[in-house]
Amino acid sequence: MLHIDNLHAAVDGKAILNGLTLHVPKGQVHAVMGPNGSGKSTLAYVLAGRPGYEVTDGTAALDGQNILAMEPEERAAAGLFLAFQYPVEVPGVGFMTFLKTAINAQRAARGEEPMPALDLLKSIRKASRALGIGDDMLGRAVNAGFSGGEKKRAEVLQMALLGPRCAILDETDSGLDVDALKTVADGVNALRSPDRAFLIITHYQRLLDHIVPDRVHVLSQGRIARSGGPDLAQEVEAQGYGAA
Amino acid sequence: MKTPVASWVTTLRAQGAGAFAAAGLPRADQDGWRHTPLPPDLMTRFGAGVAPLDVTYAGPEGLVHKLMDCYTGAVPALEWLEGLQSRPARGPLWALANAHLRDGVAVDIPEGAALDVPLVLTLTGHDGQFLMTRTAIHLGPGARATIIEHHRGAGSYWNNRLSQIVVGQGAHLTHIRFQGNSTDAVYTQTTAVEVSGGGTYEAFNFVTGAALSRLELHVDLLAPGAAARAHGLSLLRGSQLADHTTTIAHRARGCESAQHLGFILDRAARGVYQGRVRVEPGADGTDAQQRSRAVLLSDQARMATQPELEIFADDVQCAHGATCGALEGSALFYLRARGVPEAQARALLLQGFAAEVLAEVADADTRAAMEERVTTWLSAA
Ligand SMILES: Nc1ncnc2c1ncn2[C@@H]1O[C@H](COP(=O)(O)OP(=O)(O)O)[C@@H](O)[C@H]1O
Ligand SMILES: [Mg+2]
Repeated sequence: MLHIDNLHAAVDGKAILNGLTLHVPKGQVHAVMGPNGSGKSTLAYVLAGRPGYEVTDGTAALDGQNILAMEPEERAAAGLFLAFQYPVEVPGVGFMTFLKTAINAQRAARGEEPMPALDLLKSIRKASRALGIGDDMLGRAVNAGFSGGEKKRAEVLQMALLGPRCAILDETDSGLDVDALKTVADGVNALRSPDRAFLIITHYQRLLDHIVPDRVHVLSQGRIARSGGPDLAQEVEAQGYGAA
Repeated sequence: MKTPVASWVTTLRAQGAGAFAAAGLPRADQDGWRHTPLPPDLMTRFGAGVAPLDVTYAGPEGLVHKLMDCYTGAVPALEWLEGLQSRPARGPLWALANAHLRDGVAVDIPEGAALDVPLVLTLTGHDGQFLMTRTAIHLGPGARATIIEHHRGAGSYWNNRLSQIVVGQGAHLTHIRFQGNSTDAVYTQTTAVEVSGGGTYEAFNFVTGAALSRLELHVDLLAPGAAARAHGLSLLRGSQLADHTTTIAHRARGCESAQHLGFILDRAARGVYQGRVRVEPGADGTDAQQRSRAVLLSDQARMATQPELEIFADDVQCAHGATCGALEGSALFYLRARGVPEAQARALLLQGFAAEVLAEVADADTRAAMEERVTTWLSAA
């Protein structure tokens, strides 16, 4: 489903990804681990199309479509979702308005009618409840004054509502206490399906206790240094990245 | 046919004409006018004769009078009017307004009156006109009122306007302006407000109009517990310029002032905020907040921000925050990554920016009317 081949990318003229190759078949969950600064977020941003992240070589395709040629919103409409490591505050824009706008924008891109307001409200309420997100949070501006944990739950809520084909979660576990980690993991597990692929970026192994991956990859110096089964996560955790 | 006017009116006119003849129009090399160059040919283009005022009023009866009727004695004299209108002119545009003292309205809200319906004034300018319009507003002790002004028009005209306002002890005036003048018009507005103890002057200026507008606000907080909130949102494009120049004088202890000005500037539009807060000796316990924020949507757009604090008292809390820049790139990307097309994402961010300023508007209906105008303005891009 997600095919990344020999990807090279630079930020501010500095090469960060140096020939990264990674294939995530549909129905699978792959984890990417790596020390701070190894290029994990850069990979996520390059795939999502963040301006300023320049692809210098290689390819990335979703369901056979070259996503690198698309605008960020086209990638989203094609089914790509990025849960941000640092979700962005959008002052003055209500979280509810934001959710409605995003859902209907993606429907419009697929040639569908806007979702009826009442259905929209119901599905947002239902998905929010499952993630322990209260009405007060829905009533605030996007990520404004949200705690670290609230921001991460809000990312998972967006993922649940948008129902992407391929989701990239960038350190969605960081800053979460044990209970919140469990809630978020349950939210992700509920979305696992034979038609969907996940790329879980994490610095620690603990999230992978809850979301058991099919494959684990270790990122080092902008490329995949090692790949293995779920055991690799434990090994990396025990021995540190130096041994990888 | 002509009924004679009160002698103090004739005196004021003569004084105003003399003062304006001596000073002339403010020039761009004068203090406070550097960012706002008035077209030098204003007087020759428009100054020949003052056009009659096109104003309509909707609201409670018996509170709004034509100034001319007050001057001729057609309505019973308002005992506060002469004193208020005879205050020394602050600047040549004020003097010019005195020279042409004739058209306008007096609003008289008696002691203790609490109006739950707003007083709505609509002023319309027409091509080629020179308008010298005037408002005198008096709220007696404990009175509460909302005045909404709509300014609009078509073609090229100059409206030089003077508003003088007294907010009595414990009174509360909400003063909303929709400045939607023709984008070929020049609009110079001087507002002078005197707030008594425990009184509140609460203003919001919603600006989308005029080629050049100057909103000059002078507030005197005269006695303990007086408060002024003067906020505004300006949406400008083309080569429009909007200038908000304020002087708030804290003249007694324990007074509060707050200003929150937002600007969205597209193409070669220019925004100006000059905010002076003066805390006079003895005005201890003053709280004065100033915030100005501008979003520049093009390389040619410009914002000039100049806060000025003059503090001669103790235990004073004064804060000023100013931001100015392009739309936040990370927020734009965040919205696009959720599938919102770029143009729509930009509009949503701007709406959010506007909403933060409009949050200062207490009345939900007024706020909704402004939000709607923001949407209209954005979709006209
Ligand atoms: N916007 C940027 N400008 C310059 N350097 C950046 C930027 N973003 C990331 N980098 C650099 O790229 C490298 C990889 O960063 P990142 O992808 O955030 O790593 P990780 O997510 O694995 O911690 C780091 O050396 C970081 O300093
Ligand atoms: Mg990172």
